[in-house]
Amino acid sequence: MRNRWAAGLAVILLTAPHGAAGDGDAILRITGNVTGGAVAFDLDDLHDLPRVTLETSTVVTDGIHRFTGVLMRDLLAGVEADGDTVTATALNDYAVDIPVADFRDYDVIVAYAMDGTPLDRADKGPLWIVYPRDDHTALQDIRYDYRWVWQLARLDIR
Amino acid sequence: MTRLPRPAIRLVLPFLAVVIFAGLLAFSLVRMTRVESDMRVDAEQNMLWVMHQAASAARRVTETTLRAELGEAEPAEIALRLDILRSRVALLNAGPQRRFVERIGLGKELDRLTDTLAEIAPMVEDPGDGRLAELRAALAPFPPFFARAANKTMIAEWDDLGARLGTYRAELQTTIVALIGILAAGGVLAATLVVALRDSRHRNRMLRQARDFSGLLIASSGEGIAAVDRTGRCTLWNGAMADMVGRPAEHAVGRPLNEVSGFFAVTAIRDGIARALAGENARFRLQPLFRNQDDTPLHVDLRLFPMRDETGIVGAIAFMHDASDRHAAERKDAENRARLEQLVAERTRKLDDALRRERSAADLYRNFAAMISHQFRTPLAVADSALQRLIRRAGRADTREVGERAARARDAIAGLTRLVDSTLDAARIETGQMDARRERCDLAAMLHDIREQQRAAAPDAQIEITTSGDTVALCDPAHAEQVLKNLVANAVTYGAPGSPITVALSDHGDTLRCDISNIGPGIADAERARIFERNVRGTNSVGKPGTGVGLFIGRTLARMQGGDIALLTGDGTTTFRLSLPRPTEATP
Repeated sequence: MRNRWAAGLAVILLTAPHGAAGDGDAILRITGNVTGGAVAFDLDDLHDLPRVTLETSTVVTDGIHRFTGVLMRDLLAGVEADGDTVTATALNDYAVDIPVADFRDYDVIVAYAMDGTPLDRADKGPLWIVYPRDDHTALQDIRYDYRWVWQLARLDIR
Repeated sequence: MTRLPRPAIRLVLPFLAVVIFAGLLAFSLVRMTRVESDMRVDAEQNMLWVMHQAASAARRVTETTLRAELGEAEPAEIALRLDILRSRVALLNAGPQRRFVERIGLGKELDRLTDTLAEIAPMVEDPGDGRLAELRAALAPFPPFFARAANKTMIAEWDDLGARLGTYRAELQTTIVALIGILAAGGVLAATLVVALRDSRHRNRMLRQARDFSGLLIASSGEGIAAVDRTGRCTLWNGAMADMVGRPAEHAVGRPLNEVSGFFAVTAIRDGIARALAGENARFRLQPLFRNQDDTPLHVDLRLFPMRDETGIVGAIAFMHDASDRHAAERKDAENRARLEQLVAERTRKLDDALRRERSAADLYRNFAAMISHQFRTPLAVADSALQRLIRRAGRADTREVGERAARARDAIAGLTRLVDSTLDAARIETGQMDARRERCDLAAMLHDIREQQRAAAPDAQIEITTSGDTVALCDPAHAEQVLKNLVANAVTYGAPGSPITVALSDHGDTLRCDISNIGPGIADAERARIFERNVRGTNSVGKPGTGVGLFIGRTLARMQGGDIALLTGDGTTTFRLSLPRPTEATP
């Protein structure tokens, strides 16, 4: 399954102008050890990837929310990312190093919608790294909480 | 006043210690769990960082606007920076952050700033020259607000931290006290354990000594001792048992007893073991115990008892005592007694014989007297009358008449002589003075002689002799002749006048039979049983000469020679059967 859409993605990447996939504005850039050194995604590209839904609470909101997005490990596999660490950078230049092992061990997603509403740049959008916090006690830790990068803009694979 | 038994008192202290131990442990566990969960929740608040980020975002919007006024920045960049600021404000307005802002008393101010932000958002769409300055002016209150908020946040968080640390310290202090309590309770438990261990070791030593002593007793016992468990498997087998049964302990222990030795497989012994396992004692005297098939057996006394503990029967124990000596002594006693009894019986019989002979002699004389009075009278009368006639006719009798009368007298006297001989024979037989030779003799020839003699005495008699097979018997000829003569004479005497007498000799392997039959009234049923007894005469013999001893003598003589006489009665015929042994090949 993943291979099929990965192949599709490869076609898109080959046919689209380098570094600016799709018609919309690029919202996520992946750099470092990936196909061609850099890949850019707009929202439509992300919508084309297998959709994953995750319900969890967060430390900055009340109650439980339903997040929709793509699995981080699918995303990285699609660009043939090869590395141990992902440096995630937000629009406000907040940067944090995340071990790639997190995406293997947990179903971490890059969410583009919360409770069915697309994430807004004036709030946590357009993209938010969300951990399945309620499903794993180990994730209910301050050392995981700082990895929840919102207004995600760039991933650098090292 | 009731007193607790000693073991109960000894249990109270450790029990209390365990209760205290468990209680304190549970208490400290609850406390520590509470601290742990508290730490997990509270550690996630980091409002100082939020405020710092918000202040930074506000400053960057202002800075970008200023750069745009100088023509160094695009409107899109202002929009991005404004979005980031709006995102921060939105964060502050969400759940936990909003509650914190309220707590530090900046809720209303934040609401005002949020409204301001909503108003200036459209300005970015069409940023003219004057509008940029207006935008910058509208953004002016944001940085000082976030700086103040950061200040208050720092104070609030440190207050929180201090209070929380104080709580943790208090919790930890109580936990430490509880731990000391646990330590003390543990110490009490350990001490109790050490005491109990020492006691147990002491008791074990005593028990071991007792067991060693029992073991020594069992091993040195002269009695064989074996024990079995509930399933009948041997658990103990001492040296004496091994010697008696001939199986060493290592062969016996762990195996069922009936496999160890056939002695224990005998039904009675097996039942005894089963009874002992069911709770009954069992005791066996002088049971033969074969160690090997060829040996003479030991004779042992076996006692079986159940073994019990507080739960019930746990097995059985067997004591075996070698009683072979006693058995031998008892057997010797029994043998002596038997020999004595035999001796007495023999003596008694000899005495009885002597007495009987004495009595039969007396009987003989008495019978003889009776017989003489009865049997002698007729022939004497015959002889007397013949002689009287001779005297009366002394001159007139011719020689023929004299001869005839004299012959009659002589016959009568000869009959008397025979009577006396027979009587004496019977007496001799009875007193055991007669014995018999054994030799081959031809009964057929003997019968022909007898027939000749009988014809001389009774010319009318018809005697037919038939033979089949060999006619030789092994007997004393004199006795055989006497017996046959007697039987033939009886047949003639008691047969119907003019009827034939048949004598049939037949060969029956190892016996020769001689059946002598006549036709006549026969012998009454009631008399058959007694016909062979001495001095018995049948009712049919009234008025006929005889001694009453013929058949008695005949049977006695026949039996002396290994034969017999039997009475067979057919339809109107009376048959006496004489059987005598036939010579075997080895007989000369």
